[in-house]
Amino acid sequence: MKYAIETFDLTKKYDEFTAVDALNMKIDNNSIFGFLGPNGAGKTTTIKMLTCLIKATSGTGNVAGYDITNNPNEVREKIGMVPQLVSLYGDLTVRENVYLCADFYGLPTDLKISRADELMELVDIKYAQNKLVKQLSGGMKQKASVVASLIHQPDILFLDEPTIGLDPTTKRVLWDLVEELNSEGRTIILCSHDMYEVELLCDGIGIINNGVLAAFDTPRGLKDTMIKEQKELKSTKDSNVIKIMEELRKESSVEDSAAFDKIKENIEIRNRDLKELSVMISNLDENMLNHLNKLPSIHEIVEHDSGRIVMDIESSDESVNQIISAIITNGGNITSIATKDPSLEDVFMSVTAKKEEEGVDNE
Amino acid sequence: MSETKKIMWMIKKDLLVLWRHKPRLISLFLFPIIMITLFGYGMGGTLNNVPVVVVEQSQGPITDATLTAIKGNSLYNVKDIITDPDKGKQMVQSGQVKAAIILPSNYDNLNDTSQKSIVVDVDSSDQLAASVIIPATQGLFNQISNQIGIQELQTLNFTSTSVASTPQGTNFQNILNSINLQINKLYGNITYLDFLVPAIIGMTILFGCVFGMGEIIAGERERGELARLFMTPTSVSTVVGGKIISKLVQETGRGIILIVAAVLLFGIIINGSIMLTVLLLILGALCFIGFGIMISARVSSQEDFMQSVMPITMPMMFVSGVFYPIETMPWIFQKIAYILPLTYVNDALRAVMLKGAGVGDIWIDIVVLLGFTALFFALGVTQFNRDV
Repeated sequence: MKYAIETFDLTKKYDEFTAVDALNMKIDNNSIFGFLGPNGAGKTTTIKMLTCLIKATSGTGNVAGYDITNNPNEVREKIGMVPQLVSLYGDLTVRENVYLCADFYGLPTDLKISRADELMELVDIKYAQNKLVKQLSGGMKQKASVVASLIHQPDILFLDEPTIGLDPTTKRVLWDLVEELNSEGRTIILCSHDMYEVELLCDGIGIINNGVLAAFDTPRGLKDTMIKEQKELKSTKDSNVIKIMEELRKESSVEDSAAFDKIKENIEIRNRDLKELSVMISNLDENMLNHLNKLPSIHEIVEHDSGRIVMDIESSDESVNQIISAIITNGGNITSIATKDPSLEDVFMSVTAKKEEEGVDNE
Repeated sequence: MSETKKIMWMIKKDLLVLWRHKPRLISLFLFPIIMITLFGYGMGGTLNNVPVVVVEQSQGPITDATLTAIKGNSLYNVKDIITDPDKGKQMVQSGQVKAAIILPSNYDNLNDTSQKSIVVDVDSSDQLAASVIIPATQGLFNQISNQIGIQELQTLNFTSTSVASTPQGTNFQNILNSINLQINKLYGNITYLDFLVPAIIGMTILFGCVFGMGEIIAGERERGELARLFMTPTSVSTVVGGKIISKLVQETGRGIILIVAAVLLFGIIINGSIMLTVLLLILGALCFIGFGIMISARVSSQEDFMQSVMPITMPMMFVSGVFYPIETMPWIFQKIAYILPLTYVNDALRAVMLKGAGVGDIWIDIVVLLGFTALFFALGVTQFNRDV
């Protein structure tokens, strides 16, 4: 089985409103897949259909090799879900909740006990096993929910915003757990608004917007696509500007030919492969700035407070090395350095801004 | 923002929430209308229309006058006029009427100066109806007795000025008190508490089961707990079945505790089979659980569930004869009462606990309750929304 999840025109309608519209996607087995989208975009509805909590209006999907419409119980055997809101019984203890789930999955008693112990130790909740769930903190509840969802050793684990409202330490524990579960061969479907979390964990990302799949790729692939799209857009715009200026010159409206050439040169430079480099220099001075301004790989320098400069530079490793050498040679003391690529958040904003565009089919 | 503005916002917010939850809005207006109608028309007035049967064993003007007097009294609703005293008693025992007024065979014979013994068989298990029928009937026949006495004296040509010409041996007292009314309480002296206890048990089960199902289905659906169960390879019937059995055990236990408490604390006597009483509790609980499932099958929150059941359960409590006999209510409420399951639970429990009835006496109640139960479960399970 190559794919953990495949959907075929999966659609959910509520009266006239289409929550998910003919969704087609394939998620690789043993991957960590980030399923993103703005609020109300259709991701929770999709997850509910894939976990057989609601029925699709039309279309279908395969989860762990079983059809969600015709074999929902087989699907349920193979999946686990940690919902956004902890849905354990508040008046039962952690262990009782875990046992309840184990019995609903039909685990034999000895296996139930051993797995419960093992999982509670894994997520570090065993010390609270006899506490009522309603008495636990948010993080502990989420850990208990994870144990209950993993008790039957599912092949695919759905995590719907599992770290929302959790402190950084607990988030780390859950992230480590996700990676560990994935290394054991499980496929993880992660719904999250935390782009850092998604970028850190996920091999593949799907972005749903207005019920359609708006983007589907690896995190690097999505960023590269965005860079490419932005360049194409910029290039088109600049070409249009140059075209207009050429026409104006022909009509002799622009008399200063040198000024025109300068504008054209700047536009052409902008169209080169540039990237942003941010450097913090503790002893930055005018002399050092003058030296840097003379470097051909630097096209623009913006000076900020506290010795930070942000430069548009040629997008090559040599240019970065050249700049660092120049700073050090001039006695500069570099305290931090970073190049800026588009973040996943930039990709998300860009993709979800295209409201009315058609969905992307990854096939 | 001024305090007034904040208060205005709170009011506006609450009204908007209400407007956007139509079941709550409908309930808000419907519920008080139903309740005031029930109280105003059904419970607020004096007891009227108590069903009775008259047994006439002679024909004549006094019988006619008596029947006219009984029919003219709004307390009585004469269901039938028959000639067999045993059949009259049976009608009371079977619950068709609350009393049988049995006129003696010498009722129309004015020449017979011996006392005319009228027997009134009263369904004393309906304490409220009995407590009204007995004094009212006594008053009615006192009046009739005086009239008959005067007529008899006139037959004897007796006048106050010619006492001396009175025939020898005439018993004047007997003539003036020509009717001897014998009240026969078929089930002994039953107090209002005795009357109330079976229906209170039925009512407790109703509320326990219906509201309980709201909590464990609509409430769990709202809190996402039901979703956790439905994520597992488990059918709706297993989840719902488990909840039914759990609730059934709780409510049957509660009913038994109520009966034991009533016996120990208030000396209530169960005249019929305790086993049959418990079986009726179970049947009633099943029926109300089915009702709870039927409503909770489609609603998404406990609040919506409560607002949906309140306009049904509260009127059911008043219309189903918990506090007042159904037969004494206006006809429209009587019709409504007979489409409500609590009526049959109350009737069966009262029959067994107060009258010592057996299955043969309450089979109609049992069949109707089984029918309601089957209907509620069928609708509840088929309409149950697994989507969460």
